[in-house]
Amino acid sequence: MTNVLNKYIANQPISPVKPAPLPAFTFNSEGKIKPLDDKAKLLPSRIFGSPIEYAKDLKQDVVNIGRAAKGKANDHELGRINDVAMKLGSLALATYLFVKNPLKLSKAMEFVGFGTFFASMSLWPKLAIQAPIKARTGVDIHQKYIDSQGRKKMLHQDPQYDLTDLYSREDLDKMGKKLGVAENLPDRDSFIKQRAKKTAVQGNTLWMMTAGIATPVMSALACNRLEKPINNAIEAIELKSSENALKNGTVGFISRLKQSRADKALEKFLKEHADDVIDDKMATKLSSLIGGRTNAASIQEALKNQILSIKEPLKINEEFITRALQNKIPANLIASLTAEQKALLDKAMADGSLKSVATILSQAGATGKPAQKKMASSLLRTLETASKTSQQKSVGQVSGQIRSLYASLGGFTQNKQILDRFIDARVGDKSGTYIANQWTRVCDKLIKSLNLNSKELKALADGNVGVLQTKLEALAGSDKYDDVVAQLMKLIGDYEVKTGSDFISMVQEKTTSLSDDAFRALQANNFEDLAKKFASGVNRGTIKNVIDVNAKERALGAQSSFYRLLQSLELYKRIGNGTFEQQLTSALGEVGKSADKATIKKLTKACKDLVLNATTTDYVEKLKSAGFELTEAEYKAVMKTMFGSVDDTIEAALRSKVGGAQAKTLVKGFNGYKQTFMSKVADWQNSMTPELARRTVNGVTSSANAIERNNLAGKPIKTLVQDVARQTYNSQKWLKIFGGVMAGLTAVTLVAGLAIGRKGKMEKQVEEESKKLNG
Amino acid sequence: MVYKVGVQGQNINNRLSTPAFFGEKKEKKSKCENHDYVMAEEKAKRPISTSLKITADKFSKACTTYPKKGLSGSKNANFYEFLTMGMVPYLTGSAMMIGVFNLAAKFFNTPDAVNALKLGKKMGIGVAAYGVAKTLSKKLIEVPVKWKHGIDVNLPYKKVVYELPEEGNKDNLVTHEYHKVFESVDFPRWDLLYNNEYYGEERNAYFNKVADKMGVANGDLDHSDQKVKPKIKEKLIQTKVFSTLASYLWAGTAVALSMQKPWENLKLSKNIVKDFGSAFVRSCKEFVNHPDKVTKYAGRGLLGAAVGVTLLGNFMTLFDFNKDKSSKTQAATSLFENGKEKVVC
Repeated sequence: MTNVLNKYIANQPISPVKPAPLPAFTFNSEGKIKPLDDKAKLLPSRIFGSPIEYAKDLKQDVVNIGRAAKGKANDHELGRINDVAMKLGSLALATYLFVKNPLKLSKAMEFVGFGTFFASMSLWPKLAIQAPIKARTGVDIHQKYIDSQGRKKMLHQDPQYDLTDLYSREDLDKMGKKLGVAENLPDRDSFIKQRAKKTAVQGNTLWMMTAGIATPVMSALACNRLEKPINNAIEAIELKSSENALKNGTVGFISRLKQSRADKALEKFLKEHADDVIDDKMATKLSSLIGGRTNAASIQEALKNQILSIKEPLKINEEFITRALQNKIPANLIASLTAEQKALLDKAMADGSLKSVATILSQAGATGKPAQKKMASSLLRTLETASKTSQQKSVGQVSGQIRSLYASLGGFTQNKQILDRFIDARVGDKSGTYIANQWTRVCDKLIKSLNLNSKELKALADGNVGVLQTKLEALAGSDKYDDVVAQLMKLIGDYEVKTGSDFISMVQEKTTSLSDDAFRALQANNFEDLAKKFASGVNRGTIKNVIDVNAKERALGAQSSFYRLLQSLELYKRIGNGTFEQQLTSALGEVGKSADKATIKKLTKACKDLVLNATTTDYVEKLKSAGFELTEAEYKAVMKTMFGSVDDTIEAALRSKVGGAQAKTLVKGFNGYKQTFMSKVADWQNSMTPELARRTVNGVTSSANAIERNNLAGKPIKTLVQDVARQTYNSQKWLKIFGGVMAGLTAVTLVAGLAIGRKGKMEKQVEEESKKLNG
Repeated sequence: MVYKVGVQGQNINNRLSTPAFFGEKKEKKSKCENHDYVMAEEKAKRPISTSLKITADKFSKACTTYPKKGLSGSKNANFYEFLTMGMVPYLTGSAMMIGVFNLAAKFFNTPDAVNALKLGKKMGIGVAAYGVAKTLSKKLIEVPVKWKHGIDVNLPYKKVVYELPEEGNKDNLVTHEYHKVFESVDFPRWDLLYNNEYYGEERNAYFNKVADKMGVANGDLDHSDQKVKPKIKEKLIQTKVFSTLASYLWAGTAVALSMQKPWENLKLSKNIVKDFGSAFVRSCKEFVNHPDKVTKYAGRGLLGAAVGVTLLGNFMTLFDFNKDKSSKTQAATSLFENGKEKVVC
């Protein structure tokens, strides 16, 4: 507007003649069109908008997109469409990434990221700029108004488009008071309006300068904070719903959809490939269509073999014989048959039995001339070969059997999915499952209880055993020990409830019932070989056994790591208060080994290292490398002192924290573990080099194989702590950097905000001059 | 308070000495700093350098002059400056976005750093891809419109702004801004297109050309401006809405593409173009043919949406579905048509 006026002024012809005065202004409004009434008004000033209003606006935006596509829109609508399009594009991307990410947490975080980004974009200026400035100056820099056409806009969007006339008397007074505008200032309202405009320009500029840094960092920090609660929520929902599904046998909508798609895919395949011969490749494809969703490689393999060996009764008819005997038409042979034989052959052909045809033909051969005999035997051979090759059937020939196979496995496929989900929610080998989250909770608890500073955390992350030992010793000797042990025990107790014997027996019960069902259905349809795979016995290799063992081993692995942690803490406690050395001296004394104090000290140190480092079973080797060549009895004595101690500080710690009954249950689990550990890991026969099968040493067979021992030993404390320290360190470092950026930016913005809306030189001058004028 | 009147006086003298407005002396229109002028010639001759020049000018001011004016609450601050300052959060935001996923990694242990940087690399490429796809994809709709109808929706003009004197600046009151002739669909700068010698000698040369191209005038170029203005507006709106919708979908597709695995292993050797090209091709293949079936269709869906909206945009902008209205003059589609209240801004 300024520009147009300037142009107009610049182009005025300069006339030396003074223009005649204008006539008095008269205007007859009759018959003229009046401008529309001004209906614009300010909207209530709110930090957060109402969701209903938001939905209404969104609806209007969608309508506007439709109109704009036909070429009807104005600048305001196009501006809003831009915002909608930005969200639409981001939503489309989030949806894609949601689908792409395999994990539920990652899926959820895609939308959380989308939400927090836009929330940060909107919240940052509101919280860090708009609200503080409003509180201090009374000016809402993002004040909205609704114009005469009902469009919502920002009052201070364009400072050259002055809408401050929309402020009410109260608004002006309020702002005037907060801005410290003198009450008796002439043209006070204009002055306040100018100040409000100025404040808004400053605030909006501050917003533009800070939003770029604030939005992504705020969004990332929010995601970082939200990840844990969302993960816990997903875990809780999945635990509950997978259990309900198992109890009720309900299949989710997606599974049903997949099922129906699998049905259709098989039917389509059978139709399209009806004439194709079943070779190896075809059998693989068919087996994946039938049992692809059982997710078990062994079933796939068995299915494939089953399909390849499906026996189709050989049908002997004229067409078959003609085809089989192509180029060897035994017209003379057929002609040589007696009428009776001919009738028999016809009957045999009608029956469709190869055997009867063969018999007839061989009779013909036996009774005929040598040439006929030769011909008959050759024919017989041809028929035999034909009967064998005919087992390479076309898909169409065996489609009935394939359908029955599919139906027999249908219930199993569905139920196994439900069971898989149940097992997965508890002990699944991926993030977001109960086992993974509980692991994190235990590790977090431990790391927190070690009271680490950033340097120590880094040392642990780098695998520094010295720092770990010092910290564990400090914890074992501190007052916090009982508390930490009780808290860890509670977490382990919960783990026991969800993945312990109840869980295992529930899995076993289910695997038995679904294996039995599949076994019976397959047997009834004569799929004997495949049925064997579903036998509900404990034979290794059966489907049931595979599921049971996998679930059990997963549960046991983490449980052992937890107990090993407790075991180590307990050991450190005893070493710290000197009990261990006494126990070791007396245990060695009992087996006839007297050791001096220095040796005991050295052995104690070796035990301390051992409990942190030893991976599975090589305790003997580890002690040997520490300079202790022990006999069986000595070794057993050391192991008993380390792991089989009855001096249970754990139970004592628990009793004081959770009460007797609960402590008893929790300790029972721990003691059970210790017993198994003693017999299977810390035993002489099991302590040699790792092997897969049980082995016999000096006539004594070991009580566990390498896998069992590995599961019982759990994760070495050093590795466990190193992993969790690394994650914690990374996460803290990240948080330190970006939390620092955010805190710094917020501080700078708030401080800068204090300068906003202040009186400038000119405003002060105006006030002073008016004061002088008013005396 | 006394203000010193600045440079306007000088301007008036200039104008008086070349009174092109009065038709006394017909000479090439001045491109001096006193008038808003359309940068059609520069754009036609040097499209890239012109747009770079404009972007560089806007960006440098967005980082220096405009924040200074804005933070001091200058009475000369305007909406253009506010919008131009929007470049700052765009760029700092992109840098921060990359930073969030990459900066902390250097403190991590090697395996963690490697993993973090794998994602960081993808995020970095994603941010860049977002910007590139968003800018370039608009051309998929804008260029055909220019080719078919002769309407360049991005036609820039240099606007001369005479500021008000204020505390701290009483002399240097002339400044310029880079706008687009069609940046507002409500108020396109038609005035800059009249008598524009770049398009021809006639007053309506620009409108004649567009009317001809759009087939609006049917050979009758009288009042071509009146005839073609509503059609230009219509095409302008369609172009803007479809290029906006498509650009965000393309940007989303580009980010999705950069989240594919091949980028993780991207190692830049001497032959950067080849390395980058190969990762790009492999990512495209993975994107449309992802091993996971649902992801594959989701990827194809996203790409399909971007392509679909672009094609629909081309279809809607290149063909005329409201031919009957084209013959009406601007007056005939005036404010009082149908007795409805009209929204004009």
